[in-house]
Amino acid sequence: MLEKEVLRYLGCPEQSADSRLKTRISDSLQDLRKACTPRSVWRCFPLEMGTGSVQIGTLEIPGNSLRKHLRGCGQAVLFAATLGAQADFLLERMSRMDIGLAAVYQASAAALVERYCDECEQKIAEKASRKNLFLRPRYSPGYGDFPIECQRGILAVLDCPRRIGLSMTERYMLVPTKSVTAVIGLTRDRPDGTVSKCARCDSPACPFRKEPNDGSAE
Amino acid sequence: MDLRSELGKRLIFFDGAMGTMLQGMGLEAGELPEVWNLTHPKAVSDIHRAYLAAGADILKTNTFGANRIKLGQSGYSVSEVVSAGVWLAKDAAAEKGALVAMDIGPTGKLMKPLGDLEFEDAVSAFAEAARAGERAGADIILIETMSDTYECKAAVLAAKENTSLPVFATVVVDEQGKLLTGGDIPSAVALLEGLGVDALGLNCGFGPSQMERFFPVLESCCSIPIIINPNAGLPREDSGSIVYDVTAEQFARDMKRIAESGAWILGGCCGTTPAYIRAMVRCCKNISPKPIHKKNLTVVSSYSQTVRFGKKPVLIGERINPTGKPRLKQALCEGDMDYLMRGAVSQQEKGAHVLDVNTGLPEINETTVLSRAVQGIQSVTGLPLQIDTSSPVAMEAAMRLYNGKPLVNSVNGKKESMETVFPLVKKYGGVVIALTLDENGIPATAEGRAAVAQKIISAAAEYGIEKKDIIVDTLVMTISTGQKNAAVTLDSLRLVKERLGVCTSLGISNVSFGLPERQNLNASFFTMALQTGLDAAIVNPNSEAVMNAYYAFGALSGKDGQCSAYIRHHSGQKREEEPSAGSITLAEAIWKGFRESAREKAREMLKTEVPLDIIHSQMIPALDRAGKDFEQGTLFLPQLLMSAEAAKAAFEILRGSMAGKGETVRGGKIVLATVKGDIHDIGKNIVKVLLENYGFDVLDLGRDVTPEKVVETAVSQHVRLVGLSALMTTTVASMEETIRQVHQALPGCKVMVGGAVLTPEYAKKIHADFYSKDAMGSVRYAQKLFSVNISRERPGD
Repeated sequence: MLEKEVLRYLGCPEQSADSRLKTRISDSLQDLRKACTPRSVWRCFPLEMGTGSVQIGTLEIPGNSLRKHLRGCGQAVLFAATLGAQADFLLERMSRMDIGLAAVYQASAAALVERYCDECEQKIAEKASRKNLFLRPRYSPGYGDFPIECQRGILAVLDCPRRIGLSMTERYMLVPTKSVTAVIGLTRDRPDGTVSKCARCDSPACPFRKEPNDGSAE
Repeated sequence: MDLRSELGKRLIFFDGAMGTMLQGMGLEAGELPEVWNLTHPKAVSDIHRAYLAAGADILKTNTFGANRIKLGQSGYSVSEVVSAGVWLAKDAAAEKGALVAMDIGPTGKLMKPLGDLEFEDAVSAFAEAARAGERAGADIILIETMSDTYECKAAVLAAKENTSLPVFATVVVDEQGKLLTGGDIPSAVALLEGLGVDALGLNCGFGPSQMERFFPVLESCCSIPIIINPNAGLPREDSGSIVYDVTAEQFARDMKRIAESGAWILGGCCGTTPAYIRAMVRCCKNISPKPIHKKNLTVVSSYSQTVRFGKKPVLIGERINPTGKPRLKQALCEGDMDYLMRGAVSQQEKGAHVLDVNTGLPEINETTVLSRAVQGIQSVTGLPLQIDTSSPVAMEAAMRLYNGKPLVNSVNGKKESMETVFPLVKKYGGVVIALTLDENGIPATAEGRAAVAQKIISAAAEYGIEKKDIIVDTLVMTISTGQKNAAVTLDSLRLVKERLGVCTSLGISNVSFGLPERQNLNASFFTMALQTGLDAAIVNPNSEAVMNAYYAFGALSGKDGQCSAYIRHHSGQKREEEPSAGSITLAEAIWKGFRESAREKAREMLKTEVPLDIIHSQMIPALDRAGKDFEQGTLFLPQLLMSAEAAKAAFEILRGSMAGKGETVRGGKIVLATVKGDIHDIGKNIVKVLLENYGFDVLDLGRDVTPEKVVETAVSQHVRLVGLSALMTTTVASMEETIRQVHQALPGCKVMVGGAVLTPEYAKKIHADFYSKDAMGSVRYAQKLFSVNISRERPGD
């Protein structure tokens, strides 16, 4: 349930959400869905492991986290998705009009972009499965030691500004803000479905970490 | 070839894709194609020659991304890349006397407020490219693949200000016919025609058959030559490369239909090759261009939508004008743009179609404040704005920054007024309200006012401003000073419409000045004016009587089909259920987060109590209770914020009452900012609302704020506490630098920090004085630091 995800982003336990809050969440999701046209672009590249880096197409990505994450992959998909400028416009409007609603819209937009990425990933997986390839979970710049500076290369290679209107600021923040870039490894190894995304992550203090017994995992 | 003499006599053909061709020659994904002008000149030159041989009349230079923002660290200058690009094209074009269009694409960055590119920085980057293009000998400037009207405006202004070349502009739309930033085709056309481009149209995005679907929309609002440069279909990925599905023959057949529908200039974008252009030229060259009909539409626009005058009456909301509004005056003096933005949105919710923005106050710098107000309001509403000022400098600054084609208030028949306002309307585009008065004052008769209107229209024509871009206001004067005033205004209106055939507008509320129960007079006068043919009215959308009159007129005149707007107006809006003010205390309303109840209750309490008592007896205890529950983990962020919003609503009522008496609430002054490079500001905005509810005087500098700006404000406002937020590791460096500069300039000033990436240890390392783990934390720290209660301040206290 997307509503559950929104509550998680809001830091609010489900049993503490009254009907007013739940209505606000479902209204915000509806409003955002109506206003936004999510867009995505992806492209598959050959992958080469370097020492202390990986090479995806012409893009060299330094660091070990991604390298570790992609071990066993022969190709990788560069992926980008965005809810678009309309989401930011709505969020800006809400933050001036009603800060309570603004927080709800923020959380809803975050949940929506994640959900949209999941849907795209499914399409990529379907295509890959025809070649007997499986997907590693998407991995984004800024996680582990995957340098945030790599946003520049990913956006350029995928021609993101032109294709989906996704750009970044001088300090490598994606704009529109409700956007994701990621690397998705393609491997011949069948994935082990028992370990959740969060359990593999190196940020144990993350406030959004899902506990292993949390049924909502992935 | 001579563009001006051939345009309209025969179809003109652009070439096709450059990038696609270069990729075929080995250009890697992500590589800068423009650099090939210097590194692989032969490849670029061969492509130009192939297109020329295919029949192109205009060659696009390989300079799409040749601006300082994209070339950045490439090691090449804009001037050398552009010069080489233009020379390569010119050299090829010379063989057949073809023309060369200096190609200017988007910067690849998003403009403020969405991204971090300043409007003037974009103008300056485009200007550099455009100048280099003209210097190298280009014949035309082609601005293309623009998916944001604002960036497109920056590019067109740059080209027109810095070159004397014809300017073409094409935008890219999606399957819904929208630009990526949400604008529709009519709004892009209004903007571009207003700016005076020589031809406009669509390019990229998808293939000709999809573009054909949008051609009728484009054609129905456009009065200048149309350019159509589609892709060879929708791009899709196939085994690691990008492919397009439309064949050259199909492309040519589709383009033929578009040419027959009225496009004058045709070519190709991504995926097209010389084969496509050859097939297209063969298919289309014998088609005679369809004559262009002037549409004569009176239209204003925002970044996202247009408002057309002359069909249904247009309501222009008058509430953003400080005259007689002490609370707005206070907000303007304090630079509190949020207050204006809320005023804008609430007028929109009440049904206004255009919003008047007037920030004229002797005690502020109107030029700066009007521009800020226009930008702020455009960040929260898509309604077109009416820029209302008597200062030509403020008018120009605001028109320049405005995203769209604005309504301008106003010009009159005085020579000086026309000489200052018309050049601005011509340059930036706009529809201008013309007041029927001149050096001799306001004519007493309808004949006299119509004569002034005629004079203004004739003068405008000398500047190249068409009648459709003028809305005549025949001036409303109160009937309390002369009972024939209303009749003269309406007679003038009728005469002006009949004789001059222009749209009209009136400031309705003036009619009742000095009389009791003004709403009644306003509403009836409004109906009379509508019956006389009024096209637009400056009104208060919060006035029920006026709005009722408007909807009733629509229903009775048959302009409101099936009375649907009338019915909707009276069926009420969907609202969250809230308890009535009688059944709940203010403290309860706040604690439970009932905003409307809190507002109403505050209004009710003001009848018997003074604002400060209400704050101390009701608001602070309720806020404290919510704050404590939050800290103890029994109340969560969404509920805390609902309660904060209810308190804020009540506070606003109290402030309004105090502003009327010249009083303000004064807690400690705190500067808040999201640091340079960071654009995620929800956390800061939450902190701001909470601090304000506790009476603190928050100076919100917004997001992406330089250390210098923070220091400058902290110093000039004698601030003792600065709050900074940052979301990501990349921006913590800016935070550290800001803290260093604040501490250096103001040793006594404390800095508190917060944000997703921070921890107490990290905060300490960058020398913050306090790390706030959540919004309440910052309130508690501020309370401790200032340890003062809310007090009242009167002027001279």
